[in-house]
Amino acid sequence: MSFLRLLSRNRLALAGLVVMALVVVLALITPLLPLADPDVTNTADRFKRPLGDAGLLGTDHLGRDLLSRLLWGTRLSLAVGVAAALIAATIGAAIGIVAGFYGGRTDNIIMRGVDMLMAFPYILLALAIVAALGPGLLNALIAVAAVNIPFFARNIRGVTVSIAHKEFVDAARLSGMGDVRIIVTEVLPNVIPVIVIAMSTTIGWMILETAGLSFLGLGSQPPQADLGSMLGEARSALITNPHTSVVPGAMILVIVMAINLLGDGVRDALDPRLKSGALSRPMPATLVRRDSVPPQPRTEDEAILALRDLKTEFHVKNRVYKAVGGVDLHVRPGECLGIIGESGSGKSVTALSVMGLVASPPGVITGGAVYFEGQDLIGAPYETLRRLRGNRVAYIFQDPLATLHPLYTVGEQLIEAVRAHHPTSRDEARTHAIDLLKSVRIPNAETRIDSYPHELSGGMRQRVGIAMALANDPEVIIADEPTTALDVTVQAQILSLLDDLRRERGLAIVFITHDFGVVAQLCDRVAVMYAGRIVEEGPTAAILGAPAHPYTARLMACVPELGGGRRELAAIPGLPPVVDNLPQGCAFADRCHKATDACREGEVTLVPKGPDRAVRCIDPEIATEAAQ
Amino acid sequence: MAGYILKRLFSAIPVLLGISIIVFLIMAMIPGDPATAILGSYATPENVEKLNRDLGLDKPLVQRYFIWLGNMLQGDFGRSFSLNRAVLDEVMERFNATLILAGTSFVICSVLGVAAGVVSAARQYGLADKAITFAVLLGISIPSFFLGMMMILIFAVNLRWFPVSGMWPIYGARDLSALLSHLTLPASALAVVATGVIARLSRSAMLEVMRQDFIRTARAKGVHERSVIWRHALRAAMVSIIPVLGIQAGFVLSGAVYIEMVFQWPGVGRMLVDAILKRDILLVQGGVVFVAACYVMFNIAVDVAQGLLDPRIKT
Ligand code: SF4
Repeated sequence: MSFLRLLSRNRLALAGLVVMALVVVLALITPLLPLADPDVTNTADRFKRPLGDAGLLGTDHLGRDLLSRLLWGTRLSLAVGVAAALIAATIGAAIGIVAGFYGGRTDNIIMRGVDMLMAFPYILLALAIVAALGPGLLNALIAVAAVNIPFFARNIRGVTVSIAHKEFVDAARLSGMGDVRIIVTEVLPNVIPVIVIAMSTTIGWMILETAGLSFLGLGSQPPQADLGSMLGEARSALITNPHTSVVPGAMILVIVMAINLLGDGVRDALDPRLKSGALSRPMPATLVRRDSVPPQPRTEDEAILALRDLKTEFHVKNRVYKAVGGVDLHVRPGECLGIIGESGSGKSVTALSVMGLVASPPGVITGGAVYFEGQDLIGAPYETLRRLRGNRVAYIFQDPLATLHPLYTVGEQLIEAVRAHHPTSRDEARTHAIDLLKSVRIPNAETRIDSYPHELSGGMRQRVGIAMALANDPEVIIADEPTTALDVTVQAQILSLLDDLRRERGLAIVFITHDFGVVAQLCDRVAVMYAGRIVEEGPTAAILGAPAHPYTARLMACVPELGGGRRELAAIPGLPPVVDNLPQGCAFADRCHKATDACREGEVTLVPKGPDRAVRCIDPEIATEAAQ
Repeated sequence: MAGYILKRLFSAIPVLLGISIIVFLIMAMIPGDPATAILGSYATPENVEKLNRDLGLDKPLVQRYFIWLGNMLQGDFGRSFSLNRAVLDEVMERFNATLILAGTSFVICSVLGVAAGVVSAARQYGLADKAITFAVLLGISIPSFFLGMMMILIFAVNLRWFPVSGMWPIYGARDLSALLSHLTLPASALAVVATGVIARLSRSAMLEVMRQDFIRTARAKGVHERSVIWRHALRAAMVSIIPVLGIQAGFVLSGAVYIEMVFQWPGVGRMLVDAILKRDILLVQGGVVFVAACYVMFNIAVDVAQGLLDPRIKT
């Protein structure tokens, strides 16, 4: 039902369905229509034009009525195509099921044979079969069906293999059911939808191929004519009387196109990835749709990078996920700011929003501003963003195996990073790249530069990621959980490397993590995020010493030791709220042991608590001390 | 690399054997006495006896296969009775013409198809994407033989831009420009369907790749969007596009049959159709085995290209 509704939403598929239905109905009622006999020749009336005195479509080279021949030909072509599809599907499915169900040697031998058949150029095999059987429509049908068998066999085998090892099949076996019964009662019902889909995608082909064989004179023999042989016969008069060619040719086109439209619609309706929008490509920069005037920068922060009331949402279908719900942050030159939170807290989206790297669709920046050296980057032209990306503000990402291009060497990727902003020669850029690799302490940089990412260890790959971020001497580095995928020792090395670089180069670092140990080791200040908002902010030492927000306190309580590697913050009971449906009042209320009705009523704001600190809670843990 | 190529070449041997067995078995389906079937109207008692002696046609099936295979390995594909010529000579000459046609078509459909797919993906849901998607749908739905006829009508008969048919002018020099003007229409007509299929798969391969993390990395580096698409995304998408190109090459090669008929191109496809109509079994057999074997070799080349392109494949 929902499938039909999906199909009807696709207008093109619907058009295909309507056209196809029309053609099929016409083909079915052809014998009932008051048509001239398609095979009666009348040489006096040869090559009459369409819309003339000799019928709607005129006559062909033997004076036969074209309309009648077209409808009878369509009927024949459809019948042959459908028959070929049915034969191919039945035999192919039988072979596929046997191979998939029995597995082992049976499977091996059968699939070898199928592979051999598929090694042939498709039409060539059909020609060979027709050559052996002799020309004729039935033989052409057999040939087209035969060459399509391997396709069905392979598809169905795949599905059968996955079913043959399911519990219900094992259960049937244990209960003493015979193989044939298992296949018929358990396997077949699960395979039939796949057969139907495979048929819907190949039936157009089969109509086309049988028409093709007839066109070559190898299919239907005169006076009987399908669309292909009509076209074939008309070919000799192509130049003098093109209408005899156009009529059958256009009909084939219409039929095949309608089937293709329908097939595409079916496929789209069944493909879950299309529904979730997972098949759309992210645009070069995140979409910006701000309806309010962005807030001004605060000069007193002396920040190089400042986020003001940043709002980023994900628009999926009719739902809106508020991933970042108004975040204020800033980082000064040479400072390291930590952003900490559980996964889904919006910390990564916040970081990616800065340079417009949130994938959109579905991401949309709906409000706020990001000031870099006083210039607002939200809504800045693409070229402005591109010139800053990697040049003044660089990123280090989490999993370097996925974030480095797998098919380019490390050197090529580093050289590209340099040359994206500094037009130097390749040799110069390469020397620079080697220096970069050395500066992140990669041994044998001269040889490692020609390695592919998959040839390096995880730690080495992340060093390459850092080297790439340093390529253009940026002012700000945004590191999105750069050590999460690494083991503890390597993690410590990477952290100390980042710390050294920051001191040597006066870098500002925004460090995103879920690990308080990492924060303690590296960051001057820290902001705690929960459900897309900052719930607490302040100097690292102060917060570690006395967390003010209950959430921060709980986060810290589940960190057993500093720098302990990959750890999820699951020790807090409950889950963070879904950001498409935020509760009124404090978002943490459902998991907070101190929650009262007051917490759930009005908006809880971020209020300053002592020097340089702020907390979003009406009953903070250290209210009194921090205020003093 | 050399070892990898050698390994792939060795793996082709069973496939080639399988192909010869399949063709042999198909031809063995011919009802009646094989010698009579092969000779057709030339089946005089002397000829039948001679053929039986040469090909061992009176021997059991298995033995006959090995005699046939042995002959082929020595370059003896038998003799065409309708042409009174060695099959291999005829096939090679015709295959040359087919290769020119199909090769040109393959280049056209690869370049155009991939380019259209990339543009379509990069402008997803934009005007260019919609136009390309529609053109692709039209392209994969139109029968190549009908398209070829319409092209003749429009570009050769009405506009007189290109010759109507053939590979060479009947009079005049057989030079490159003559060949190109004869080649343009058939090669384009042959390329259309494959271009559509390739464009479609390239588009989805690109969309798949564009969501990967390394694309975000390239953007974060400040690489220009042009390079992000054509250097980063396309390079990664090629890994899944290349096998499609290999499959489409098979369709182009065998689809040439129709185009050769429409344009009177003296290729192996037209030779096969003529041979089938004249029941020249040995010519069909030899032609099919030869073309299929060439296609297997081409696919090995595709595999090797894939190995060169993707350093993660162990070569
Ligand atoms: S506002 Fe209330 S519910 Fe929220 S954290 Fe503070 S005490 Fe807990």
